[in-house]
Amino acid sequence: MGILETVRKRKLFFDGGMGSLLVAKGLNPGELPETWNVTHPEVLQEIHLQYLRAGSDEITTNTFGANGLKFGSDGEFSLKRIVTAAVENAKIARERFAKERRALADGMPADVTGTAECPKAVQMAENPTDGAAKAVWNSSSGAARAAGNPESDAAETEPCAYIGLDLGPTGKLLKPLGDLAFEDAYELYKEVVIYGAEAGADFVLVETMSDGYEAKAAILAAKENCDLPVCATMIFDSKGKLLTGGDVASTVALLEGLGVSMLGVNCGLGPVQMKEILKEILKAASVPVIVNPNAGLPRTENGKTVYDIDADEFAGVMEEIADMGANALGGCCGTTPEHIAKMTALCRDKKQVLPEEKNRTVISSYAQAVEIGQSPVLIGERINPTGKSKFKQALRDHNIEYILREGVTQQDHGAHVLDVNVGLPEIDEPSMMEEVVRELQSVIDLPLQIDTSNIEAMEWALRIYNGKALINSVNGKEESMRAVFPLVKKYGGVVVALTLDESGIPETADGRIEIAKKIYRTAAEYGIAKKDILIDALCLTISSDSKGALTTLETLRRVRDELHGKTVLGVSNISFGLPQREIINASFFTMALQNGLNAAIINPNSEAMMRAYYSFKALADLDPQCGEYISVYSGQTATLGQSAVVGGASAGTSNVGTAGAEGVNDGSFSGAAGTSSGTGKAAGASAGIAAGGKSTAGSQSSAAFGELSLARCILRGLKEQAQAAVRELLVQRDSLSIINGEMIPALDQVGKGFEKGTVFLPQLLMSAEAAKAAFEVIKEHMSSKGESRQKKGKIVLATVKGDIHDIGKNIVKVLLENYDYEVIDLGKDVPPETVASAAAEYHVPLVGLSALMTTTVPAMEETIALLRKETPWVKIMVGGAVLTEDYAKTIGADRYCKDAMASVNYAEEIMQKPAG
Amino acid sequence: MDIDYRETLRYLGYKNQAADEAVLALVSQCWEELERISSPRSFWREYPLTAAEDEIDAGVFQTRSRALGRNLRGCERILVFAASLGAGADLLIQRYEKLQMSKAVVMQAAAAAYLENYCNSVNEELRQRYEADGWYLRPRFSPGYGDFPLECQTAIVAALEAGKRVGITLTDSLLMVPSKSVTAVIGVGRTPLACEVKGCEACGKTDCEFRR
Repeated sequence: MGILETVRKRKLFFDGGMGSLLVAKGLNPGELPETWNVTHPEVLQEIHLQYLRAGSDEITTNTFGANGLKFGSDGEFSLKRIVTAAVENAKIARERFAKERRALADGMPADVTGTAECPKAVQMAENPTDGAAKAVWNSSSGAARAAGNPESDAAETEPCAYIGLDLGPTGKLLKPLGDLAFEDAYELYKEVVIYGAEAGADFVLVETMSDGYEAKAAILAAKENCDLPVCATMIFDSKGKLLTGGDVASTVALLEGLGVSMLGVNCGLGPVQMKEILKEILKAASVPVIVNPNAGLPRTENGKTVYDIDADEFAGVMEEIADMGANALGGCCGTTPEHIAKMTALCRDKKQVLPEEKNRTVISSYAQAVEIGQSPVLIGERINPTGKSKFKQALRDHNIEYILREGVTQQDHGAHVLDVNVGLPEIDEPSMMEEVVRELQSVIDLPLQIDTSNIEAMEWALRIYNGKALINSVNGKEESMRAVFPLVKKYGGVVVALTLDESGIPETADGRIEIAKKIYRTAAEYGIAKKDILIDALCLTISSDSKGALTTLETLRRVRDELHGKTVLGVSNISFGLPQREIINASFFTMALQNGLNAAIINPNSEAMMRAYYSFKALADLDPQCGEYISVYSGQTATLGQSAVVGGASAGTSNVGTAGAEGVNDGSFSGAAGTSSGTGKAAGASAGIAAGGKSTAGSQSSAAFGELSLARCILRGLKEQAQAAVRELLVQRDSLSIINGEMIPALDQVGKGFEKGTVFLPQLLMSAEAAKAAFEVIKEHMSSKGESRQKKGKIVLATVKGDIHDIGKNIVKVLLENYDYEVIDLGKDVPPETVASAAAEYHVPLVGLSALMTTTVPAMEETIALLRKETPWVKIMVGGAVLTEDYAKTIGADRYCKDAMASVNYAEEIMQKPAG
Repeated sequence: MDIDYRETLRYLGYKNQAADEAVLALVSQCWEELERISSPRSFWREYPLTAAEDEIDAGVFQTRSRALGRNLRGCERILVFAASLGAGADLLIQRYEKLQMSKAVVMQAAAAAYLENYCNSVNEELRQRYEADGWYLRPRFSPGYGDFPLECQTAIVAALEAGKRVGITLTDSLLMVPSKSVTAVIGVGRTPLACEVKGCEACGKTDCEFRR
């Protein structure tokens, strides 16, 4: 705890750069700097010592790049040896410095203070009151003792600085963008933490992180494998963004959720540019803030990196940064003991002002933070199988696309957070929850609400969640709190707390308030602040309890006014058992908002609910100049669904560009409405208004769909129109004749055009998407009559091990599915064994493999060899940028497919004959 | 950056054919989303160069490559360069791969064109700066072009600290992540090139479907 006590008392000083100093001492390009811990310990000790003399209170071990990817498990440069040596070097430097300092304190003759050997002493002598300087050091060494450093209690050593175990980035980007799994990153950090803590580091410094997810892996590894305090600093760019897109607010939420003791910014920018970032951090952070800039902005002169400001300017700006409120200051790339000495001289006597507790209720995704406060937050409830047979089927089939679309549609309609509930009796909920959360967070940048009563599922999801989640839920039962609160504390999060306990749901607001108080109290025992709890006031349907709504509203009001807490509500329960539930829901929603509801779990695809939301905001002065209301409802710009489509997407619920080109712009919203029940009418009406607003579109209402034949819709890639056309056809014709008479010929025509070079890839895919949309209508129609369409056969597709570019494979998949094959998509970076076992398990006649790079073709060859051995009946088609006909033959493939149509053709060829 | 329809379409396989309105609309949507989300970054360092025919010592890496040797003929120094659109572009592509493949392929092409144009603009600044001092730049040349070994990526990425400065990391198979990233070297010499051969014309793969 030493360093944390020190930072509470006074400004704390970190050290500066290491890499450039090592280069100056002769580190060769290409040589791993960490090897010097073992080969040149004296150099490392000397650099640490210089920083201590310059006034640094902490020295960072030379372990920035030390991890299991770069260092093996044994030999001269084993990871353990590298890390242990790094900590030892820091400890030796600290001891030497302690001796110097003691000599000074013991009243060394004045001439010693003037030697260049001990610049620190110079500064201390320059300090107006020698006593003050001494007092500072005493306090820090005392703190170090308190940390239980075994050597620090010996009077002779008297450590005067904290050793920070440096955890830098792994050098790999995490999945899904890169090839390192979150769990593997965790294991890499875990190893370093264990060695570093064992060797005697005082705290863990996670630094130079440009990806919050990787930082999470490092922080978790530190928290779970040692008892040292953990601090984290991130790289932000000049716009205040992480490389992976997170902003300051979302990053602070993530880091504080994970329980770091200090947080801040390092590297990437010079001190001047960091001032803006610091302002943002100070607005959000409640823990002490670290600022470790580079020596300025770099430029290259004759192969050397030089910076745009010098040490004096650096120190001057750092003084401003200290005044702004940074609590710990140091340097990063390009800074030297000179920079640090000048900085500490200017900043040493600054008053330490710690950030105040912000008391903001914040959740985050990898990209953005959502504050639950004054303006109501909408939690989309649609990712939930309860009462939805299609959703249940999607879960059973691992139909992730279906679930993603539910998410995207809600985002387009204005949801701020997505509830994720995948509970079905017959599925493995923890692994399904993990899979769905991973997929959602790779596609949608909204924070998620992890909704499960399965504690294991909750923990798995929270562990891999890339942000600070909303957690649904805990309640006043002992058992529930005992299970859920430790997870909230460990992974961070805001938790929904239901006001019920062992004796059920209290009928009165008094009873619910008592439970809320109990939950707050118990949470506090776990170290969970009130701000991280959302009290769910619960609503019981008014069809069975006519006072149900009033009790809920009173509870909301009293949580706000008496407990000063935040509230959440699953709004739609109120109307259970009543007809036309939306009417009641929307009115109750408005009433709840007026009584202080902060977050509502609703169906954002419901026009009625969204009307209540937008009008409440306009009426409650939460929508300046009614701007949002006007943009949604003015009709001249757009209606609800359309404004969402224009803004959000893009997202691909509809083919906006195509629809526009056809002059039918109401298709987009009716498409979205199709996925949500009960909104069709309102949606249709509003879309009609919008269409009327545009002269060209006005004449082409839904009647116009009929004018385009299904085949033409597919040829031109018009999704919604294709669906409308097929619905019309289904009235008179049977499914098979539509498929064989209209759709397949159209697809063939597009495919031929593609082969001839008159149709291009985007058009080919738009047609495929239109056909797919039409197939879905047919499928629904058939299943309603108890029929199903026979698939032609199964095909395994995979992008080979080491290759993470799978766009080509995904194109092939879309087309094969169009032609009615069942594709078992194994994804990217797939080991040969996985391909072989899938081919065997499903006994497929055909496997398709893709590889993009020359470096990954060997993996393809290996996969083919294994398939030949394990599944000799299988035909293998291959494709990818570097492959050629000859190359494909050399590695033993049956067929080289130069494009997606070639794959379809080969599949058709193979599947005509029986396998084997 | 202005929407570069021509290059985007070329990456999509169009060879001077006109694209229909729907595709053009997709191109402009993708381009706008890229502008909003990506934050292109670049970094470069100059090193002394020793090159004798195909033996190249660029300080940060040593290699043997005829194509690179030709490219660097007459140069005394070398710029080692890295640029990336960042993870945002990859996230967009990935998003649409899950939701709308037609848009994913257009996004992928647009991002490639966007990155190339960004590199060209940085390259142009460098050219002006160097020419003011009487130095002339050779066309950018990347590991993987011709016989310039991809293995040099490791040294280049490490020397530039590209992970920290530009955000480029390498997979075990030497793929750059984020995918919309470039590393390259640029030769620096005292004499201008009489006829600048660059891009597709400098490449030996004459059967490439994307060849201009």
